[in-house]
Amino acid sequence: MSRLEAKKPPLFISEPLTRHAVSQSLSLLSGILKSSYGPAGRLKQLHNGVGGCVCTTSQSSALLGHLSVSQPVLRVLTASVQNHVSHFSDCGLFTAILCCGFIENFRSLNIAPFTVIKISKHLLSLCMDHLKSEACGCRVSVDFSSVETLVCLVRSILTSKPACLLNKTEVDHLTSLVLKAFLFTVPCHVETNAVLGKCVIIPVKGRRVEDSTVLPGLLIEVPEIQLGKPLAVKRTGSNMIKLALFSVSMSGDGFNPEEGTIAVHHGVSLEVSELNQLLSVGKQLVKDEVGLVVCQKVMHPSLKQYLKENGVMAVDRAGLCLMEPLGRMTGSQPIASIHLLSPGCYGSLKDLCVESFAPKHFLHLIPEDTVICSLILCNRSETAWDELKHVCETAEQVLRLTMKEPLALLGGGCTETHLASYIRHKSSILPASTFKDLDCSQTQYQLVTEGFCHSLESVARSLSHDGEEILTDMVYGHCWFVPSGAPCVSKWSDFLVSKCGCGMNGNTEDLSWRFLRGQSGSPVIQGCPKEPSVKVSDLLTLDCFAAKCTGLQVALETANLILDLSYITEDQN
Amino acid sequence: MAARACSHRAATGDGAKSFVVLLAAVLGGLRAAGGGAGLRRALRDFEAQVLERAAARGLRRHLRPAPPGLPEPPLEPLLEPLLEPYLAGRLGPGERRCLARLCAEMCRRCAPAAAARPRVLRLLGRRFAELHAAVPGLPLASSRVLPGIVLRRDFAVYCPTDGELRALLVTEPLRPALTAPGVEFVVDSEGQYQASLRWIARRTEALMKHLQSNNVKLLLSSAKQEEVVIYYAKLYGVSVVECLSSEEMALIREITGVCPYAPFGDNMDREITETAVVTFCQPLLLASKRCAHIGFTSVCAFQPHCLILCGPVDGVNEQHAAALQEAFTMLQQLFKAVHQREEWKAEGESQSKASDVCTWHSSATQKQLVIENTCNSNQVSECQLKALGDETERKILDPDKSDLLVHSQKNHGTAVLVAHNTDRVTACECLDAGKGLEKTCCRIVPFKQEESCAGIAQDCPNCLIQAGSVLPVGGYFEILLHYYIQDYAKQCQQSEIIVVSNVVADALLSIPKALYRTAERDGFTKFYLETTNLLRKNQPLPVNDEGLESVYCKYQLVISVLHCVTELLSIDLVIGIRRPLQKIADHDSEDDS
Repeated sequence: MSRLEAKKPPLFISEPLTRHAVSQSLSLLSGILKSSYGPAGRLKQLHNGVGGCVCTTSQSSALLGHLSVSQPVLRVLTASVQNHVSHFSDCGLFTAILCCGFIENFRSLNIAPFTVIKISKHLLSLCMDHLKSEACGCRVSVDFSSVETLVCLVRSILTSKPACLLNKTEVDHLTSLVLKAFLFTVPCHVETNAVLGKCVIIPVKGRRVEDSTVLPGLLIEVPEIQLGKPLAVKRTGSNMIKLALFSVSMSGDGFNPEEGTIAVHHGVSLEVSELNQLLSVGKQLVKDEVGLVVCQKVMHPSLKQYLKENGVMAVDRAGLCLMEPLGRMTGSQPIASIHLLSPGCYGSLKDLCVESFAPKHFLHLIPEDTVICSLILCNRSETAWDELKHVCETAEQVLRLTMKEPLALLGGGCTETHLASYIRHKSSILPASTFKDLDCSQTQYQLVTEGFCHSLESVARSLSHDGEEILTDMVYGHCWFVPSGAPCVSKWSDFLVSKCGCGMNGNTEDLSWRFLRGQSGSPVIQGCPKEPSVKVSDLLTLDCFAAKCTGLQVALETANLILDLSYITEDQN
Repeated sequence: MAARACSHRAATGDGAKSFVVLLAAVLGGLRAAGGGAGLRRALRDFEAQVLERAAARGLRRHLRPAPPGLPEPPLEPLLEPLLEPYLAGRLGPGERRCLARLCAEMCRRCAPAAAARPRVLRLLGRRFAELHAAVPGLPLASSRVLPGIVLRRDFAVYCPTDGELRALLVTEPLRPALTAPGVEFVVDSEGQYQASLRWIARRTEALMKHLQSNNVKLLLSSAKQEEVVIYYAKLYGVSVVECLSSEEMALIREITGVCPYAPFGDNMDREITETAVVTFCQPLLLASKRCAHIGFTSVCAFQPHCLILCGPVDGVNEQHAAALQEAFTMLQQLFKAVHQREEWKAEGESQSKASDVCTWHSSATQKQLVIENTCNSNQVSECQLKALGDETERKILDPDKSDLLVHSQKNHGTAVLVAHNTDRVTACECLDAGKGLEKTCCRIVPFKQEESCAGIAQDCPNCLIQAGSVLPVGGYFEILLHYYIQDYAKQCQQSEIIVVSNVVADALLSIPKALYRTAERDGFTKFYLETTNLLRKNQPLPVNDEGLESVYCKYQLVISVLHCVTELLSIDLVIGIRRPLQKIADHDSEDDS
């Protein structure tokens, strides 16, 4: 009989947001995230005191995944951001910082949560309508017929994570590789339901980033290949290589683990029987002019030897991950039975060769027409490689999302400041009936609007880590940086860097700048923030449209959820 | 008390908080009135002599009448006005409108024919777990209603097809086994062994060929299939979804009316007839997870649709799903009518409980209060109940500490329960309830629930509240009933019934009082005076379009509370015992210690 333990009563916390411990944890979390944001973000070293690996990073997924958050309120926040990242890979820090900002700004307002939520929902709908409208000044359309904007998008993602330790030429090199890899995955012949292919990232650590490259087709690591010798592969009449792909074990011990018993008479060997069956499969493969056999699991040495003697290349232990892309690339069907071989299962390859990226050797499977490619990714250290891999995957995911919705948002803080100016302008010209609809006073509306805009601007402010001053202009609503210690004069243009955060506007005219700091009331732009007529630079900083739009919505929804908490009941059993 | 509140909610989908508020007020009022056995007996007579008359003759005049000639109340225009205030009691202010819209859309699309609504609502409430897919990490605004069913697993094999196809349900592995448990397979020779294995492979292939020739292009399996089955399925262009849960299989069977196919001992040449018609079958990407999205042609009134429910975190999605599921239960109540329990003239007859009024305890499940804690006999530490079939709720009731915590097992994923304004009000009321009940609770003994289940008299003169009756939200029901109870109590001769009438009438006001607690001062008094003035002058109540509530649910609540009070007052002793009570004939019990 098990021991009965007295049940502990649940922990009951009322008004959690007013607790000191919660606000302290919130500002700590917000501080960690803000200091990691952007290309100049500070890195965080994650390690366990007991030992083991050390991870140097500024990614939200790594940070939030490893931080142990004890406050239930904050666990909601981190779970929400992690869910967002698992979906979009991008804009995790943006979402998290914005969410913290909303909570901190709205909490201090002393307005009933019910009213705050209604007003902030209304402000969000203003933002979303603006972002989705043609007239929106902070978005650019992405033209897939030229590579220019795509390069900007990929470059912005690669440079946003300083832990990759890339210099300018490395960024250029990788940008072109990531783009090339993405273009490989786009099918050439578009049917009604086009499905993008796959880019397999192959790790080669301890080499220079410039050694990275992208190859069409797949690479299978083969340790025992003899270099220097030309590969003699059997080809079919049409000069193609026939390929058979096995998902079933060919080791000869594949007895089915069925329930029940198998009684074997004396002198009968199931092993021999299995091997004979395998060899007869081998015979069939040779007869069918198969040039390459790839097995997901282990292959019996005798079968391997037999195939080799008959001029058939055999590769085993390919692993589960390769099966799907291999099948797709070669048109072959993974065979799951060694008893009946159907000729319809075979696939074909254009060529086969050996590639070497010291210290590793690979068999390179080159298809006729492919949507599968391999990105051989090199970086010097283990932790920098991990970060780089994550960034490359994010870039691929962002390109895919952009393909669905060919839009991008201005980066470098400009989208945030632009949205804030837009909201300030828009809320100043609202008809009085809006307040009635929202069941609030004009003052309440203005206070919440100020908190909302301030939260957006605080994301832009988090881009500054070395004490730079941040300004916004009154014409376009973009974001500008001034080196710290600049004298406080009216003519800012003398001290400003030559272009704004995203690189679209130049410092040529007087744009009447103002500081982005503190809570103090900000002057409202007379008109709607404009869209610049001329682009200054081709090297724009761009962000993923889908990820940022959803990030904005998720941040507000999560913040509202947390603001609305009156009680927390924690089961302690 | 908590168990009864939850069983009331399980049956009507609504009113757990109001239940506790009202119960506490009635108990408090009765204690203030001196208690006693006389009042307890008067409670029963009050129901027949005053309450039913107040409902039938007073309340009924103010209800929105159902249009004549229609067999069912038209749900369409009522959906959103009913759902929005309902969800307001459960969800945050930013979410209720969006979810009410989704819920209404789901009702409309699943039951385009109005006559089918009650049946479809029942199915939606029962199978909502399989009829929605939660996607964490996306804003609520991305939620949508999709035609067909989403199975939350990827295809084991996916072969794209165009147009209509046939699907087969299977529950067992399709590959014949060499041996089975308790069966010995004797190998005489190597040749025989290989021949057997070859036969198995051939047989599997033949089966797939057979499916293909019967135009079966989709296999839905509750069992995991062997690799070789998957392989041949792919070769013969049959898509496969495996490891379906028994609930999913049951849902598909309910929609399509087909039974699982048993391949063995079956003649391979026989045509397969047990197939479901599928209009489309495609992968669907939900939160970077691939799911199978299948459009079934329905053989019943339910048009299969699936709700994709998005929210930032899983816990929120679960909460939204639970609220929607209960909303479907609440909407079902709209189709019910309240009937008179007995002839008003036949006074004094009290044992008859046969009427559909008591649907909430129509199940024959025995309900017991288990008293575990022995160190303090003043505490009812835990009461367990198995209510209405499969849903078990856990509550902890601790009157000494004066707080009531209701913890639903469903929400254990996140320890955070989002409490809203209304919840806070209720929690405060609970404190009072706890205090008021200290004495009463001390005397709880295990009780047996009387059961009742009887035919429904459908004739209209017997009908107290017609199906489809609604009132504006915001306390109108309570004030109306309060007003008419007092009105009819005046005609009563028995002084004890008059006392009970006044207690219940006053207790009813505790609900609008709680609703107005967060509003400005004197909000309730103003509202009360305005409404009663209109009633005195026989003027119609103001029509507000803010929201509606079902009168059936509200009336049920009053009846349930009165029954609970009667029961609580009948208990005179609570006995602490050392060992937990064994449940009788409980097959699902997990602890066998």
